[in-house]
Order: sequence, then C-alpha cells, then structure tokens
Amino acid sequence: MSTEQTDPHVPAQRTEEPDLSSAVSDAAAPPLLEVEDLKVHFPIRRGIVVERTVGHVRAVDGVGLSIDAGGTYGLVGESGCGKTTFGRAVLRLEEPTAGRVRLGGDEVTALKGERLRRYRSKMQMVFQDPLGSLNPRHNVDMLLSEPLKVHGVGSKAERRKLAVETLDAVGLPKSVLERFPHEFSGGQRQRLGIARALMLRPDLIVCDEPVSALDVSIQAQVMNLLDELQDEFGLTYLVIAHDLAVVRHLSDRVGVMYLGKLVEEADSESIYEHPRHPYTKALLSAVPQPDPEVEAGRERIILKGDLPSPANPPSGCRFRTRCPWAEDICAEVEPEWREAASGHKVACHFDL
Amino acid sequence: MSLLEVEDLRVAFGASVAVDGVSFSVDEGKVVGLVGESGCGKSVTSLAVMGLLPKGRGRRARQPVQAAVSEPVDGGLKTAAAAPQAIPASGGRGGRGGADVQGRAVFDGVDLLSLAPAAMRRRRGKDLAMVFQDPLSSLNPVVPIGRQITEVLERHRGLKGDKASKEAALLLDRVGIPDPYRRLREYPHQLSGGMRQRVLIAIAVACAPRLLIADEPTTALDVTIQAQILELLRDLVETEGTALLMITHDLGVVAGMCDEVNVLYSGRVVESAPVRELFRKPTHPYTIGLLGSIPRLDLPIHEPLTPIRGSIADVIRWRDGCAFAPRCDRVASPCVDGEPALVGAVHAHRCVMAEEVA
Ligand SMILES: Nc1ncnc2c1ncn2[C@@H]1O[C@H](COP(=O)(O)OP(=O)(O)OP(=O)(O)O)[C@@H](O)[C@H]1O
Ligand SMILES: Nc1ncnc2c1ncn2[C@@H]1O[C@H](COP(=O)(O)OP(=O)(O)OP(=O)(O)O)[C@@H](O)[C@H]1O
Ligand code: SF4
Ligand code: SF4
Ligand SMILES: [Mg+2]
Ligand SMILES: [Mg+2]
Repeated sequence: MSTEQTDPHVPAQRTEEPDLSSAVSDAAAPPLLEVEDLKVHFPIRRGIVVERTVGHVRAVDGVGLSIDAGGTYGLVGESGCGKTTFGRAVLRLEEPTAGRVRLGGDEVTALKGERLRRYRSKMQMVFQDPLGSLNPRHNVDMLLSEPLKVHGVGSKAERRKLAVETLDAVGLPKSVLERFPHEFSGGQRQRLGIARALMLRPDLIVCDEPVSALDVSIQAQVMNLLDELQDEFGLTYLVIAHDLAVVRHLSDRVGVMYLGKLVEEADSESIYEHPRHPYTKALLSAVPQPDPEVEAGRERIILKGDLPSPANPPSGCRFRTRCPWAEDICAEVEPEWREAASGHKVACHFDL
Repeated sequence: MSLLEVEDLRVAFGASVAVDGVSFSVDEGKVVGLVGESGCGKSVTSLAVMGLLPKGRGRRARQPVQAAVSEPVDGGLKTAAAAPQAIPASGGRGGRGGADVQGRAVFDGVDLLSLAPAAMRRRRGKDLAMVFQDPLSSLNPVVPIGRQITEVLERHRGLKGDKASKEAALLLDRVGIPDPYRRLREYPHQLSGGMRQRVLIAIAVACAPRLLIADEPTTALDVTIQAQILELLRDLVETEGTALLMITHDLGVVAGMCDEVNVLYSGRVVESAPVRELFRKPTHPYTIGLLGSIPRLDLPIHEPLTPIRGSIADVIRWRDGCAFAPRCDRVASPCVDGEPALVGAVHAHRCVMAEEVA
C-alpha cells in the first residue's frame, strides 16, 4: 500500500519515526492517553418560562483509564451506559463536568481555541452510522480533504494526493473520489469514515461501534482493516462497542462499563477467561455462541429487569438491583475500584 | 405433514425478485431458522406468509402502498411496522406497485396465499402471529399498552371488560413484566425497548397461536435483554408446542434456538440442515464464509477472521448461475453455467462444486 509521504505540510506519519516505533515496544513509556476520574453530567431541565435544572443524567460518572501507544482499549457495556459520551468527552466534543484527559503527557482538558484545535487533529473519531456522519452533498474528494482544510494543511493538489493514498490504505480505488456517500454500500461507507479519520494521520482514533451497522461478512472485512491500519500507521485505538466478541477480537485491554462507571478492567485474555465482576459474567454468559454444542451445554445467567436510570443510580453498588449475588452491604457501601489480581481491576465487594 | 409448508415461494416487486423459489417447513414444537444477510429476503418471506405484503399485479393494485400496509388490523398493532422494514427508503427498484407473490404457504392444510384478505385477517393474530424487529414502530404510540392487548383478546377470543383486562395482566406477567396492572395503563414510550418487545410477544401469544414468526426479535436489544427474550421464546415452544419461525442474521442465536436452519442468499435457500449438522459440516461456501467471519469467544484470542470479499451488491441472476459466484473463492466455470440446483434431502445445499468443497 502506498503510504510514502514526503509532504512537509502534512503531519508526520508514525511509520517514519523510528524512535516512536521503538517507544511502542518500550514498556516504561508513558501511556498515550490517560484519563482520570472523568465525569459528564447532563442537566435535566424543566419549566416553560424559567428553565430550572431539576437533576442530572450522570452519563459518565468517574471513569479513569489509560491506553499505551499502539494499543487498543475496548470499552464495552450495554446501551446507555455512557460509552459514546466517554469517547466524545475524551475528544472534547463533549465538555467534561470533571476529570482530566492527557494525550502524550499534555493536558487536553484545559486547552482552548487554537491549541485545542491543533490537539483535535491528533485525535479522530469513527462513527457507528457511516452515512449519518458523512455530508450527503459532498463527494469523496471533498469529504476527505475537509479535515485538512480546516486545519490548514497542504495545497489542493497535496490534499488530493493524500486522499488517494488514504483511499488506497482502506482498500478503495481512486475512482471513487467523485462519488457521493449514498452511492456506496454500508461496508464501503465505513471504509470512507475510516479514511476520513485517517486523513490527519492522528495518534488516537476513537471507534464508536465501528461495525455494528454492518453485515456479518462485512464486519469481518472492517475489523481486519482496522488491524492492518493500526500496524501501518502506528495507531492507538479506543474501541467502543456493545458486542463482546468484537471487542475481544480487536482489543488488548478491555473495560466493562455499567451506568457510567467501570466495573471491571483487565487484558482481554483474563477478562474473558476469568471474569470477576457479576455483570461481566452475566454479559459473557448471554452472548450466543455460533456452536449448538456449546449453546446446549451452557449455564446462562439471566439478569432480571432493565438498566436503572442514570439520572438516579442505585445507592451503593450500581449493579445491585440486577445482581444475583447482591447482599445488604451492596446497597449501603459503594464497592471500591480495586486491583483483584495483577493488572485486573474490579469494583465488587466480593471475590466471586 | 408439517404445520407450515412453504413451497416454491416467489415474491417480486416489479422487475426485482426479492424471494426466488424458497421452500421450507415448520413442525409443531420446533424452531426453524431463516438466516442470512441484509436484503436476502428474510422479512419478505415472512411477510408473504403472513399476508402482509402490499398487493400488486391487478389484485387491488389501485390501493397505494402506504394505505395497504397501515390498515388497522391485528389489535391496534400497526401493521405498518412491516413497511419500514419491507420498503426500502429509496423506494427504488420499481417496487411501488406492490408485491407479486407466487407459490404456496400451506398452513394446516390450507394455502394461506389463496385466502381472501378478510379470511387471512381472521387467522392472523389467532392461528399465526408475528413479532417484528422494531417494537416501537410495531406498537401504536397513542394507545395504552393494555388497550392494544385487550383489543386482540376481544376480537379473537371474545373477552370483554374486566375479563379482558385480567387476561391482559396475566399475559404481561407471563412475559416477565413486573407490576402488570400499572403497565397496562402506560404508553409504549414509557417502556424500555426490552419491555416493549415483551409486550409484542404478549400480544402475539395472546390467542395461543400455533405458529409464531419472530423477525429479528432481539436485534435491537442488549445482550442481557436478548437472553431474557430468547428464554421466553424457548419456554413458549417447549410448554405450548408453538411452532416458531425464527428470522435472524445472528448465527449465535441460530445455534442456541433452532432445530432446523435455512441459509438464504439473494432470495434463495443455499443450504438447509438440522442445526448441529449445519455447524458441524457447513457445505456451501457462503455458510462457510459466514462462520469464518464471526469473532468467537470460544476460540483463541485474536484468531484472524476470514471475511467474504465484496458485498451483496456483487451478484449475478440465479438463472445465469450461482448468485454468490462474484464473492466465492471456489468459483469455477460450472458455477456460471445456468441455475445451480438445491441438492440433498436432510442436509441440502445449492453449490455445484460441493463435492470438491467437502
Ligand atoms: N446530550 C445529551 N443530553 C442529555 N442526556 C444525554 C446526552 N447524551 C447522552 N445522554 C444520556 O447519557 C447516557 C449515556 O449515553 P451514551 O450515548 O453515552 O450511551 P452509550 O453507552 O453510548 O449507549 P449506546 O450503546 O446506546 O450507544 C444515556 O442515558 C443518554 O440518554
Ligand atoms: N416493498 C418493497 N418494494 C420493493 N422492494 C422491496 C420491498 N420490500 C423489500 N424489498 C426488497 O426485497 C429484498 C429483500 O428484502 P427483505 O426485507 O426481505 O430483506 P431481509 O433479509 O429481511 O434483510 P434485513 O436483514 O435487512 O431485514 C431487498 O432487496 C429489498 O430491497
Ligand atoms: S458489590 Fe454486590 S451488588 Fe455489586 S456486583 Fe458485587 S455482589 Fe453484586
Ligand atoms: S456454485 Fe460455485 S460460485 Fe456458487 S457457491 Fe458453489 S463454488 Fe461458489
Ligand atoms: Mg453509543
Ligand atoms: Mg428483515
């Protein structure tokens, strides 16, 4: 794939920086992304003449995590648990209520104006709905060049050259430059979405449900593409998804979210082999496996009820209203976020 | 003879053929799966069996599509639910004129496709019922849940007033909705997605139908809620002996739910087999490709996926050869030399190279 890049106006590519690729393998290097106790609360407003704030949706309610350069962190959880809001707050597309975000050691949370804009070019997002996120009246050439224009990168010809190279990297021919989003299949549109995110050669890409709108056979194509691009461009990913198998396949570290908080985090191997939190256990037991023998012999943990409202989360442990193992203490005391085994964190009072 | 026998079903919208000679059967107390990717004809097949497709070809062709599908039948259930699924947003492919349906769908000895609309309406909800993918658009937003259930009970079982309300509450309780009397007074938007899907199932089973068609009943739901709904459907089949036609694109759901599976590609069955057979020995390259595309929790981590190349847009017409040929790794000249036949009885496949594939 042609990614050779000599244009001085275009942000440096990872592949050309030998010192950085060595940093990827260096365990002592600081994480690329560090998030501390991030909170995003949305006010609930009532009133016709005078609006009053009557409460808050605690969409993200104290989440901390870090991602090593070149790594993939998978954030998984059910609808409404705050995954997208977290991803958006990391990119400062949503204003955090509290907490800190550092990228490459620099604090992003405090940035404003021009400096914030420069930072944004290092962090990009790939959306779930490829069609909804692409302007229908712009052809591919315009769609891909736009982020470069916004950041004042390159001349028109240079931008076009980069667009062609990026299309090639995501497996689309140069001939699509003049076409419009509706002329593509779902899988091709997602490739376009990824190409657009790649145009500024970012360090971090937040992929929000990158495959959930796609057919099974196309999902596999896009997942393989994300893998290849990570190596080729030295990307760091935050993958947000509700599908546990997708997250396991893509990530080396996984965090499970419930009602705005992390309940468990570990490397993918251990979280799937030895889940410790009751919610993780229930999620894993609920995923149907494409194997009738496995399905027939399976112990399912069927959880009762629905997700409680994030505006009014249960006291103590937020999972207690659905947890099969809940005891009195769970309603009174919030479990601490503790390291239950090396590199394996969990928020539960018990060792289950 | 099976409870439902679909024979050589064909559905065309103008010049475009959505279902192209599909046959399968469903026995009492059994779960039969229709699986395949978007646009392969799963919903159209089920809507044809239910008599819910907009009519075309002379028969009441004057009726506009919208009016035909939003006819207030099925107990306040807007059958228009079928519309957003069945009619592409583009409205394209000359489909506006309605569907031309051919073949047979024999239910308990009677060909449903030959029934007059009124006769079909009497059976729908009573003998056969359907649960749609999107529970919100299948419920009437301005009618309380309770009213939507009692309407069905009144029409098909003659229950009225308190008797009907009591039965409605029992039904909600049975599908696992707590505090059913309160819920009866609520509107669809006051319920979560999982609860709405339960309400739809409650409506569908209100008259103890002998056949239930579930079109992607859990696709819009979270896995923990999906597990609850699947458990509910399993229970229904086991305790009532209901025949269940399960439509899904999820091979995991197929593996956990179905006794028999039909894999559809571009409007045709390309492989059909008892569920264990299919997963133990997938024979059609498309089935093999689907299985190779799914990341699995029980395989070593980061096991590479082997996707199918291209997309469903890359097809040829079945009469010219195998529609899967443009995406198939094993394609050879016999594949594009006329129509490939479905071969085999218990485990059937539609692939001319299957001997070599096996
Ligand atoms: N702009 C907003 N204003 C008010 N509430 C919001 C806003 N955005 C999100 N929320 C609420 O915050 C919570 C978390 O939403 P979020 O979209 O982050 O969840 P998610 O985990 O991404 O879910 P999904 O899997 O459905 O995408 C939800 O209860 C949602 O309704
Ligand atoms: N009313 C209609 N008019 C014209 N074409 C239609 C109509 N309904 C469906 N089709 C076409 O028929 C084909 C089969 O559609 P169908 O809805 O059965 O697919 P499906 O297998 O259910 O897909 P999905 O998984 O996306 O629900 C598609 O190509 C679709 O565009
Ligand atoms: S703290 Fe209690 S309620 Fe929470 S997950 Fe652990 S056992 Fe369940
Ligand atoms: S008939 Fe030929 S093209 Fe079709 S699936 Fe079989 S090998 Fe592939
Ligand atoms: Mg989201
Ligand atoms: Mg469908």
